Parts: sequence; structure tokens; C-alpha cells
Amino acid sequence: MTKVTMTVNGKSVSAETEGRTLLSAYLRDGLRLTGTHVGCDTSQCGACVVHVDGKPVKSCTVFAQDVAGADVRTIEGMANADGSLGVIQQAFQDHHGLQCGFCTPGMVMSAAALLAENPKPSEHEVRHYLDGNICRCTGYHNIVKAVMAASGQDVSALAAE
Amino acid sequence: MPKDHGIGASSKRREDIRFLTGKGTYTDDMNIAGQAHAVMVRSTVAHGRIKRVDTAAAAAMPGVLAVFTGEDFAAVGGNPAGWLINSRDGTPMREPKRPVLAHGKVRHVGDAYAAVVAETYQQARDAAQVIADDSEIEELPAVVNMAAAVANASNRVHDEIPDNVCYDWGWIEDNRAKVDAAIKSAPHVTTLELVNNRLVPNAMEPRASIGEFFPGTQDYKLTTTSQNPHLTRLLVAAFVLGIPENKLQVVAPDVGGGFGSKIYHYGEEALARCAGRRNAASPSCRTRMAETT
Ligand code: FES
Ligand code: FES
Repeated sequence: MTKVTMTVNGKSVSAETEGRTLLSAYLRDGLRLTGTHVGCDTSQCGACVVHVDGKPVKSCTVFAQDVAGADVRTIEGMANADGSLGVIQQAFQDHHGLQCGFCTPGMVMSAAALLAENPKPSEHEVRHYLDGNICRCTGYHNIVKAVMAASGQDVSALAAE
Repeated sequence: MPKDHGIGASSKRREDIRFLTGKGTYTDDMNIAGQAHAVMVRSTVAHGRIKRVDTAAAAAMPGVLAVFTGEDFAAVGGNPAGWLINSRDGTPMREPKRPVLAHGKVRHVGDAYAAVVAETYQQARDAAQVIADDSEIEELPAVVNMAAAVANASNRVHDEIPDNVCYDWGWIEDNRAKVDAAIKSAPHVTTLELVNNRLVPNAMEPRASIGEFFPGTQDYKLTTTSQNPHLTRLLVAAFVLGIPENKLQVVAPDVGGGFGSKIYHYGEEALARCAGRRNAASPSCRTRMAETT
């Protein structure tokens, strides 16, 4: 067992790991940050997306020891300082971009990474960027709408579903 | 104008805030004090005879608390079909036993034939791999669709069902004369083969269960990814394990989609409840593979 330290949501944290401990397990089991979900464990669904040094990664595909010392951000770190919903989270609620909520943390983290790279994405760009995030409930329309609304664009003409 | 209060008002979903902030409570998010972890040993072949399941080495591995095989559940009930159908001749459908863990034969890729309960998930996984290595399953030819199952009736999926037919049911067959007459008098007849696909829902949240046993009252609690906890309680208590229903509480916390697949009761749920009793710990089973079978 090796103690791995990193910064998660602005706080320095550490937990015991084996060489095979995945970042997703480090967060969920080691730190009890269970907002990061594991839907497939095989890099396909995107429910486990977190930011590592500002880049979106599927945490089920990263060894915790490989990101020792990194700056990690999870869904638990996305609300405003006063606890209210952040802009993207609020847009998901306003546009009904979630149902069961299981894919939602990964969607919000991917969307945040997209808007950091590309503050005014087109609908096509949103769909393309969220390619690695699967949602079984919503049919995606309202997720795309929420992300575009969060970027400050008028979404009244987007297909509502 | 939409109303903003009272009956008919549009209201925000109460669950959204916790889901959007990572504070939902799905079954696998829970961690009960002393919780142990169960991992299934699953078939890698579509059809096979279980020749040997040797659990001795796995049972001696670090952290392993209990090992189960199909043998342990041979005396209890199987997971019952939710809907009983009579064949056209009035005979009830022939329902084979669907055991908690496969016994004698495995019948699909992913069919669980053993399970390990250990202090950590990784320990349970390691031991499950050892059981897989120490087991011998003789692969048998498989029938993988309905037409093939009927055409190859000598290749029995369930040894006790000779023609691979569970029930024979059909509106057309029941109304053959009328159907023939209608087709005969039709101005145009098209012939085509229609295949009804097998339907397999795949929710984003994999199935998981936590079984707890309270020795003081002899009560059980099953927390599980269920769309239908009442039915699960009935099935686990009355049909599979034969315990009074009032001794079993079934809780469905936040559920990450189901689409019908989580209406049913699964063997892992009965196992979680048993493992809870045997160890006075609370195993949770988490695996994605069960979803695809
Ligand atoms: S859990 Fe990581 S991609 Fe599905
Ligand atoms: S909201 Fe259920 S999977 Fe996306």
C-alpha cells in the first residue's frame, strides 16, 4: 500500500492505494467522494469524468498513483462558494438535462471542460465533445440545450424534447 | 401563463439538486460499517457442464470471509418467472429452476456459478479469479436464438425440458382457419420474415445490492438497485429463501435508471442477504457484467 496525496477540489487529500487502484476508486472509496460514478469501468460511458490539471479524464482509466500531486476537480467541487448551483449545474436543472442523475456528474464535468476550451460552442460541437458521455434517460436534447444555455447562447430555437 | 403555486403549478424536481452536486445516494455509494464485498465468478461460455468448482485455495486467501457455489443454494427455490403462461393446449408453461448460483450447468456467458465475499473488493476479485482458474467447465454446443433452440431440440438448454420449449402460444395458430381464409381472399399478399429482437435494457447504473443481518431481531435488510422493492421482497422472502416477508426490509435508494431491467429480482440479491447472515458483515455486489447477460 502506498499513500497517494493530491489536491481534490482545492483541498490537499491523501489515501492508501495499491498500484492497481484507479482514480475513480481513490475518489469514491478512499475519499468517499461518491459523486463520481462508475457506470462501466471500461472507459466507455463517461460517468466517471473528472478534471486532472484542468483536462477531462475518465477516472476509471487512470491509476491513482500516476496522478499523485495533481490538481483534481470533481462534481463535488462545481457548486459556487456559497453552495448554490454553478452556471452549468443550474442550466442542467433549468433545461431538464437530467433524469436519473447517474450520468450527470460526468456530463457536467465534460461540459465544463468544453466551455473552458470553447466558450461559445455550436450545437454540433457540443454533441461532438460529449461523444464519450452516455446517457440512457434523456435522449441528449436537453443536455445539449443546457450546455449551450450555460454558454450564454439563446437556446429557444433548439429542438425541445 | 403557467401557475407558479398550488395545484397545476410547474415545479422543479426535488432530486435535481443532489444529483447535480454529486450528493445522490445510489446503492454503490453506500458504505455500511464492516461492509464486505462480494464478487461473482461467471461463465465465459454460453453453455457448459460444471465439472469442478474448487474453492479451497480461494477460501484461504487474505481477507476472504466466505465462498458460495451453486451447491449452497441447491435446497432453496429458484428465481421465479414473473408471468405464468399456459400453452395453447392448456398446459402450464414448463418453468425450469433459475437458481441463485448456477448448479450443474451454466447457460449463458456471465451466468454466475460461484461467489466470494471478502473484506475488500480487490480481495474478493482476486479470489474469484482463483476460483475461475480452479474450475472446470466443459463447453457444450450452444443454441443462441429461438429458431435454433427448436431446430436443435436434442441440444437441451435445460436437461428436464426435452424440446427446449417453455410454452407454445400464438394468436394465429389459435385462429388458423380464419387467418387462412383472410389471406386467401386478400387482394395482395406479402411474405416476409419478422424477427422479434431480444430486448435487453441497459441502465447507466450497474446493479448492486447490500445485504444486512441484525442478529438481535433476526431481521434482514436488502438495499438494492430496484424499480420494484415490494416485488423483490416477496420473491426473495417467499419464493427463493423461504423466510417470512416481515423479516426482510427491502430499500431502493436513488436508482440510476432501470427501464424495466430493475423490476426483476436477481440472484445476487438473494446472495447478498445470505452472505450478510453468514458473516455478520454486509457484502455489496458490484459488477457490470451482469447487465449484459
Ligand atoms: S466508468 Fe469510466 S467511462 Fe464508464
Ligand atoms: S440521466 Fe439517467 S443516464 Fe443520464
